[in-house]
Amino acid sequence: MSTPNDIPNRPGRRLRLWRHFQLVPLLGWLAGLLAAVSAEQFVGLELAHLVELPRIPVLFGFENALKRPEMIPGTVLYILAIYLAPTLLVGRVLQTPANRLAGVLARNWPAVSIGLHLALLYAVLHLWSDVNDYRLIVVKITLIAVMVTLSLNVINGYMGEFSCSHPGFMALGAYAGSVVTIALFTNSSLFGKALLPAAIGPYLFPLALLAGGCVAAVGALVVAIPSFRTRGDYLAIISLAFTFIVKSLIENVEVVGGPRGMSGQPDWSTLPVVFACAVICVGVINNFVRSIYGKALNAVRDNEMAAEAMTVNTQHTKMVAFLFSAFWAGVAGVLFAHVLRYVNPGTFGLQQLAEVLAMVYFGGLNSVYGSIVGAVSINMLSEMLRPLEIWKWIFIPLLLILVMIFRPTGLISFKEFDPFRLIQPKDASNAKRRS
Amino acid sequence: MKKITVFAVLLLAGVLMVSGAVAQKAPVLKIGINAEITGDIPKVGEATKNAAQMYVEDVNKAGGIEVGGKKYRLELAVEDNEAKAESAAKAATKLITVDEVIAIVGPQASKQAVPAGEIANNYKTPMISGWSTNPNTTKGRPFVFRACFLDDFQGPALAIFATDEYKYKKAAVLYDVASDYPKGLAEFFKKDWEAKHGAGSVVAYESFTTKDTDFSSQLTKIINSGAEFLFTPQYYNEVPLIVQQAKQLGWKKPILGSDSWASDELVKLCGKDCLGSFFVSHYASAGAKGATKEFIDRYKAKYGAIPDDVAALTWDAIGLIGNGIKNAGKITGDIKKDREAVRNAIAATKDFPGITGTISFPPGSGDPIKCANIVKINDKGEFEFYKLACP
Repeated sequence: MSTPNDIPNRPGRRLRLWRHFQLVPLLGWLAGLLAAVSAEQFVGLELAHLVELPRIPVLFGFENALKRPEMIPGTVLYILAIYLAPTLLVGRVLQTPANRLAGVLARNWPAVSIGLHLALLYAVLHLWSDVNDYRLIVVKITLIAVMVTLSLNVINGYMGEFSCSHPGFMALGAYAGSVVTIALFTNSSLFGKALLPAAIGPYLFPLALLAGGCVAAVGALVVAIPSFRTRGDYLAIISLAFTFIVKSLIENVEVVGGPRGMSGQPDWSTLPVVFACAVICVGVINNFVRSIYGKALNAVRDNEMAAEAMTVNTQHTKMVAFLFSAFWAGVAGVLFAHVLRYVNPGTFGLQQLAEVLAMVYFGGLNSVYGSIVGAVSINMLSEMLRPLEIWKWIFIPLLLILVMIFRPTGLISFKEFDPFRLIQPKDASNAKRRS
Repeated sequence: MKKITVFAVLLLAGVLMVSGAVAQKAPVLKIGINAEITGDIPKVGEATKNAAQMYVEDVNKAGGIEVGGKKYRLELAVEDNEAKAESAAKAATKLITVDEVIAIVGPQASKQAVPAGEIANNYKTPMISGWSTNPNTTKGRPFVFRACFLDDFQGPALAIFATDEYKYKKAAVLYDVASDYPKGLAEFFKKDWEAKHGAGSVVAYESFTTKDTDFSSQLTKIINSGAEFLFTPQYYNEVPLIVQQAKQLGWKKPILGSDSWASDELVKLCGKDCLGSFFVSHYASAGAKGATKEFIDRYKAKYGAIPDDVAALTWDAIGLIGNGIKNAGKITGDIKKDREAVRNAIAATKDFPGITGTISFPPGSGDPIKCANIVKINDKGEFEFYKLACP
């Protein structure tokens, strides 16, 4: 999301152009984006044909442009006309009413205001992914990645320990949730006939999510009890072992299909469900890390002995944070299994771990913004650069190395995420104070 | 406002530039390739891509495929699935909804093929995996097919071969318990062998875990069990370790394997210890005749390597699709109808002369009926066709 916070630092011409848009509030930008995706719905195909593209560019044109460079001018024109122009135009035109509305709502009913922003964001995502089902699956996987990244950030960023067990938690969640939905609501070769009518299934899906999260949290106890007695690299080693144990365990349990995996999950990870889960996850984790528990967690990270001396119950704090983080990884696992409608233990191995860690460290430690930015950018990049095949695996790691050199703690680290400040209107005095 | 003016001018210029040229649309049919180009098994992706490209070039050189009196050229849309399940699902969705392919070849490995098959079936797009042997890939999915035989078929094929050829009665099995493919194969073989020779005729049934490198305790048990031969359905990188250690421990009896042995690397890694062993395969490069030999020679000339089983199965998979398009009756231009017609034509395939055997699909199943090749590793280290085994 483009927030104009750091704009005044930029030099010259850019600043002059940007000045027109400096006072557009978040509400205005969301409305602008909504206008852009609606424009794509109605005239996207015609415009694409006009600029000699065979179809609407699905991921900002990368998939065409990388394979056929002659399409680059058409793609750029399309992006400018469909995305950039309506967003800027509508954002600017609605600046005054949006500011007024945001002001009234923020003063009187901040919760309603947050709901309105989220509804607009959902509408944008919904319309954008409605154009093409490929976008839909990319959006769903990306939102799930945001959840996993954020939950790992609680341990690796806020608590300052190095945990490698998130693929294991995801696997536990994915399998537990799948067992619940498959056994209860579908006729399968593994568990026999459905125990409950499938029609009520979607309403009970939260139970499956909860079950997945709880199983993952119980699994986290296995890691937490032995490793939190000491400090240092032990957690990394024990949690890595845990990932392997979970993988081997599932491979040897025939009831859930062993190494062949388990398929036939009902298709309940729809966009509204995934979006709602991601929003709840971000909200709850954000509240957690800004609560007294979060502060205690930071104290434990910076100096455990000092924290203990300052009456922080370090054992308890670490345990709660770890189980909490595992719970969300488990929920993400359930969603993941129901998006793919197939799970196998091989998916939750070292490669998965490397990807989640990359997203956490790329985005930024100790930061909700960072996790969102990291997960979205790594996921989108890896999707957009897919046509490059092997070169993609040179480009993305290179990017990671550069980030580690110039911003060792990640792109946006140690930054507090305050939703109530985001929804505030922007007036001239506000902007001046910032600059 | 200045920026908006710039946009307007740019847009106008662009429109003027392109509106003159209206693209000529030659009749082209797109076939998707969903392959493991990066990730754990890049060789598989490379072979898939090579074989498919060769096929498409062949067809286009001949002017295209003739359907309903009109010739259509073929075009490939290649997607890399990184050997990951979620990427395979994304790649399949992209091929179907963005590239609008008429049919898909791949993914090859089951881990990717099961979720991708789900998507292909949901969108009613024919998909043929060359290499995936997990029953779930095609089960209950009318739009998903495979070009290879199943795991449960290799067990009986080997059991028949060992019984008929050598009159063996006692078998030993060594397999990886953590890997889907070897485990399934070992189970099927045990079941079949015991059905033939009575309970307890598999005298040793030993397992290990992926990435183990020391098999001496399992092999000692096998040697002491009095088995007449050893069956080890492992991958080509593990087989040399097993065979060499077995020979060092004094095992002199035959060692049989599965189609996962079929790689040039096997003989390179194993040396002379593996010579004289047999395995079940989809095809054999040495001693091949007819169309198979022609394919091997041309592939070698083009890419500088002997095609492995993935390349051969991909060739047959895309051949099945080509054959399906030819028999689809008519290409209407409505991609949904055309996919359905191609699917029906593929399902009705009878005695398709593939290079890995003659392929037919039984009614209501995407698993082909074909014979297995028993291959011998000859003294020169080549994979030589030995005999056919048709259970």
